[in-house]
Amino acid sequence: MPRNALRSVFSFFFFIGRKARKTRVFFLISGLPVLVALVIRASRLFAPRLPVDGPSLFNNVIMAFDLQFLILVLALFYGTSIVSEELEGKTLTYLTTRPADKTAIVLGKYAAYGLFLLIMLTASVVLSFVVMNIERLADPDAWTDMLGGLGVLALGLLAYLAFFTLIGTFLKKSVLFGLFFSFGWENVVQYFPGSTQKFTLMHYLKSLLPAASTGSPGKLSFLMVGLQPSPAAASIATLLVLTAGFLTAACLVFNRKEYIFEE
Amino acid sequence: MTAVIRTQSLSKWYGNVLGLSDVSLEIEPGITGLLGPNGAGKSTFLKLITGQIKPSIGTVSILAEPIWNNVRTFAKLGFCPEQDSFYEDMTGWEFLTRLLSLHGFSAAEIEARAERALRFVELAKDKDRLIRGYSRGMRQRLKVAQAVAHDPQIIILDEPLNGLDPLGKRKVIRLIKDFKEAGKTVIVSSHVLPEIEALTRSIVLLHQGKILAQGDIHYIRDLIDKHPHKISVMCSNPRRLAARLVGEPSVQNIQFGPGPETIVFETRDRDVIFGFLPRLVVDNAIDVEEITSPDDNLQAVFDYLTGK
Repeated sequence: MPRNALRSVFSFFFFIGRKARKTRVFFLISGLPVLVALVIRASRLFAPRLPVDGPSLFNNVIMAFDLQFLILVLALFYGTSIVSEELEGKTLTYLTTRPADKTAIVLGKYAAYGLFLLIMLTASVVLSFVVMNIERLADPDAWTDMLGGLGVLALGLLAYLAFFTLIGTFLKKSVLFGLFFSFGWENVVQYFPGSTQKFTLMHYLKSLLPAASTGSPGKLSFLMVGLQPSPAAASIATLLVLTAGFLTAACLVFNRKEYIFEE
Repeated sequence: MTAVIRTQSLSKWYGNVLGLSDVSLEIEPGITGLLGPNGAGKSTFLKLITGQIKPSIGTVSILAEPIWNNVRTFAKLGFCPEQDSFYEDMTGWEFLTRLLSLHGFSAAEIEARAERALRFVELAKDKDRLIRGYSRGMRQRLKVAQAVAHDPQIIILDEPLNGLDPLGKRKVIRLIKDFKEAGKTVIVSSHVLPEIEALTRSIVLLHQGKILAQGDIHYIRDLIDKHPHKISVMCSNPRRLAARLVGEPSVQNIQFGPGPETIVFETRDRDVIFGFLPRLVVDNAIDVEEITSPDDNLQAVFDYLTGK
C-alpha cells in the first residue's frame, strides 16, 4: 500500500467536497444560527431593555441550536454518505480497485468531511458570537467561553460523524435510522433521570458545557434540565473512546462487507 | 505460457440467486473475450477477479496471489467498470490525477501519466472540461484511461463498447488492440458476438453462470454453424424469390411473413447462401429492401448451444 494512501484519499475528497453542491447547501444550513443571531440583535434594537444579555442568549439559544440540531444534522448527512454516496453514485469501484486499503478510504473520507464540517461550524459559531456580543468583543473571557463551547461542539461533531460513518457502512436506510437516533433517542433520552441519560452522547457533551460545572445555567438554559453531569475528564475520555471505537468498527465492516450496486 | 489469472471452482450466490457456478479458468497474456447474454454472469466474474466481491466457493488468484483485500495486487490491475458513473463535478484531468494519487506516485509522475493516458484515449483537448459535459464516447474513453493510466499488467474491461457509436467503437477497439501489442493481459466482456470477434479469437462463453464453451472463436463458430440460421429478406417479390430458393439444397423451411414483402428461410450454410443470394436477386430483378439474420444474436446462439 502506498504510505500516503490516507493523505491521498483525504485530499481526493476534500477536493471533491469543495466543489460539491451538498457543501453549499450545508454551508447555508450552518449559517442559520447567524441568521438567528441577527434577528435577535435586530429585535434588541427595538427593545433595548430586554432582561437577557447577549452572552446569555448566545450560550442558551445559539449553543443549544448548534448542539441539539446543527451538529447532528451535519454529522448525519456527511457521515452516512461516506459509503452510501459511493454506492448510489456507483463510484466505489474506482476506489476499491486501487492500491489504497479500505481503512484508508474510510478514515481519509472521515477526515476530509470532518474538516469541512469543522470549518462550517467554526464559521457559524464565531460569526453568531460576534453578532451577539458586539459590545464585548474586547473581553477575553467572552472569547474563552465561546472557544470552550466551540470545543464541545467540535468534539460532538466528530463523535456523531464517526457514529454515522459506522451506520452508513452497513445500513441501507442509514439516514432514516440516523434521524430516529438524532431526534428520537439523543434528543429525548438525554433528559431521562438517573444514569439512563448516560446512554446518549449528548449527556457527555452537555457535561462539558461551562454551565454544567459552574451550576449557573442562565435564565433560558433548558439544556441543563435534568442533567446529572459526568466529570469533565471522564466525559472527554468517553467521547474520544467512543469516536475511536465507532471508526474502528466502521473500518472493520467496510473491509469485510461486499458492496453490490443496485441495478 | 503461464496463467496470469487463475480461478478454481469459482462460484458466487447472491442470497438464493446463482451468479456464477463452478468456473475454473486460466487466462494468459493477450486478449480474452468474455461473451454471454445479459445476466450470464460476466460482471459477477469480473467483480470476483477484481476483488470487489468475495467468492462463495472457490479461489481467484492474480499473478499467483489472492485478490480479495490484497492491496498490493491492485497496482497491477486496471479495471474499467460497466456502469457509466463518475465524480461528475470533476474535470477529466482532475479525475485522472486524483485517482493516480491513490497509487502513491509523485506529483510529477502523476501529471506525466495522466497526460499520457489522456493523449492515448484522445481526450487531451478536453481534459479541462467537466465530466458531466462529456459525450457518451468521451466518458467511455475516460473510463478506459483511468484503467490504464497507472500502466497495469492486467486490464479488465466490462462492456467497454456499450452505447458507443461506430466511430467510438473503432477507437476503443484500436486502444484495446494496442494493449495487446504492449504485452498486456486484457479481458473484455461483451454480449455482442461481432464486437468480441473484432478483438480476439480467444473467447470464453458464459451462460447462466457457467462456462458453456471456451477456446478459439472458430471452434465456437463451428458449434454455431451446426444449427440452422434464419435469414429474412424484405423484397419486392417474395414469391419469385421463394420459387428460386426452393431448389437450393442449402435452403430449408421457407416461410412468408411477418409482412407481405418478407420471406424467412433457414440454412445450415450461411456462407453458401450469402454467396449466391446477390446474384439470384439481380438475375431475377428483385428489389431487395433489407436482408437480416433474425437469430444472429447471442441469445439465439446460446439457445442453440443449450438445445432450447
